[in-house]
Amino acid sequence: MLTAAALIIFIVELRFPDIIPVPGVKLGLANIITVYAVYRFSGREVFLMVLTRVILGAIFSTNFSALIYSFAGAMCCLGGMLLLRRVVPVKYIWLCSIIGAMLHNTGQMAVAVIALRSFAVTVYYPVLIVAGCIAGAFTGICAQLILKRDIK
Amino acid sequence: MPDRVKLMIAAVALIFIAAIIATIKLFGPGSEPDRSSDGPLYVEIVRDGEVIEKLDLNSEKDRTFRIEDEKGWNEVTIKDGHISITDADCPDHTCVKTGELRSEYVPIVCLPHKLMIRFAE
Repeated sequence: MLTAAALIIFIVELRFPDIIPVPGVKLGLANIITVYAVYRFSGREVFLMVLTRVILGAIFSTNFSALIYSFAGAMCCLGGMLLLRRVVPVKYIWLCSIIGAMLHNTGQMAVAVIALRSFAVTVYYPVLIVAGCIAGAFTGICAQLILKRDIK
Repeated sequence: MPDRVKLMIAAVALIFIAAIIATIKLFGPGSEPDRSSDGPLYVEIVRDGEVIEKLDLNSEKDRTFRIEDEKGWNEVTIKDGHISITDADCPDHTCVKTGELRSEYVPIVCLPHKLMIRFAE
């Protein structure tokens, strides 16, 4: 069910125009669901959910070259957030989300360096981090709002 | 607020600020190559980590050409000593939206075609 919700958000977001012409920058609204799920379900469940979303997302957007980047990013992000879940209380979920976004960027960047066989792309890393922090904070706050409603 | 959380917030804030400074350095004023001299200004077109073409922007005439391989094509335009990718058959078109190559450090990148255009050393 949550995978479906994440997919719908992902598809809706595809319709948005890219505001910033930098490869890899995206708001990642579907990650609201991921952040939420990390704090709500077991690691295995979240992993399967994210995996399904990434693969189906690539099929729906017909952008298969992006698959490997989003996959690497999502896995780094997920791994990090599952660890952070133990340390960071629900109240500070936005922090977890920001660090997750940074890890996502790191994963993407690593794949880009390997794919292009050049470190020249790493100059985009700071931009990705800045964008990731902002997007991460936003998705984190959204997830927090959803969780609050959930607990009541 | 637990200390560990405080520490992490501080770390995140530090990285964020560092990233902003780095972004301004890399993209902002002063990142453009020196165009005041009449000497050659070389750009490289790199695919899969190999330089496939080297052009001198100061002597190139305005023209448009395609770079093609089995993954797809990119249309490169040289105009008034500036180079840009103007069209491509990739799904994201990020390379087109990047516009003209301006910064010395920042290449135009087409991730789907593993293509890169940058100023040569």
